[in-house]
Amino acid sequence: MTGTSHNWSQRLVNWARMKSPWITIFNSGGCNACDIEILACLIPRFDIERFGILAKGSPRHADILIVTGPATLKQATRLRRVWEQMPEPKYVIAMGACGAGGGVFHGLYHVSESVDAIIPVDVFVAGCPPRPDEVINAVVTCLGLLAEDIAHGGKGWRQKKVVEHPDTMPHGEVQV
Amino acid sequence: MTDPLTEDVVAGTMSTFGTVEHVRKNRFRITTTPDQIRDAVKTVHAALSCDRLVTISTADTRQAFELHYHFTGQHRTLVTVTIAIPRDAPELPTMSDLLLPAGIYERQIHDLFGIVFTGHPDLARILLNEDWPENEHPLRKDWKPDGKTFYGGTPPEGR
Repeated sequence: MTGTSHNWSQRLVNWARMKSPWITIFNSGGCNACDIEILACLIPRFDIERFGILAKGSPRHADILIVTGPATLKQATRLRRVWEQMPEPKYVIAMGACGAGGGVFHGLYHVSESVDAIIPVDVFVAGCPPRPDEVINAVVTCLGLLAEDIAHGGKGWRQKKVVEHPDTMPHGEVQV
Repeated sequence: MTDPLTEDVVAGTMSTFGTVEHVRKNRFRITTTPDQIRDAVKTVHAALSCDRLVTISTADTRQAFELHYHFTGQHRTLVTVTIAIPRDAPELPTMSDLLLPAGIYERQIHDLFGIVFTGHPDLARILLNEDWPENEHPLRKDWKPDGKTFYGGTPPEGR
């Protein structure tokens, strides 16, 4: 492992995390196409379990949260609660065009701007829906981020600095 | 009664409530007034043996709100009872005591169009998020989201 300051038990935990990331799937109001693509990851054709990627039922067991669909305002509270239940270090994959910016639901009265407006997203996957191999690639990208985060000792090194612009507030709300 | 309803049967039963149109094969539309809607629904239910409420659809025509009560039954004929209510005073007697599932549709219509169903046991919010502001009805044609109002969802904090 890259980190040298960790003790042996921490190194063991990190090794296990890198070898077997556990994912959980949360549909925040999508059309289920992304969910079907994730199911395609689990069936024998793609079979992500041979890479050690396990789909878990509870967010308390998971390292990576895959959010499918746009975040509706009703699901926003639930999505936030699911994300808060996950133990650190946790990573979020926003799947599809909807997760990135609303997709075809963009601008509707009940849809928030993006998943990123509710929980911090680490990886966006493009596509409507993305192919299963792109989902696997996103999980592997999260593992790369995990390795770098261990080396840097936290997630702080890749957080953007919040620029206070006089006209706009951070999340697109217009200041009066 | 498994044969489709004929125009004579529907017109004979429902013509007291308003105009009866044979819109399509197996499809009838009865245009009535809000005062008579409860009696019309009772008659459709009992005399035409339409024991199933398919849905209540609502349209905003900018002059009025149109409500369409779609019924069907063993005869597999779709009978629609249509009324129009004024936009400035959208009030209507509830149908939930006659037809139990109508209560759920009425809650949705109350959410999205702001139509008040008098006598409904609990017109609580069902479709919109819990922190949606009061007196905002997004499916009305004149509704526009303004940038200042907070329409719900968790505010991002502790990122």
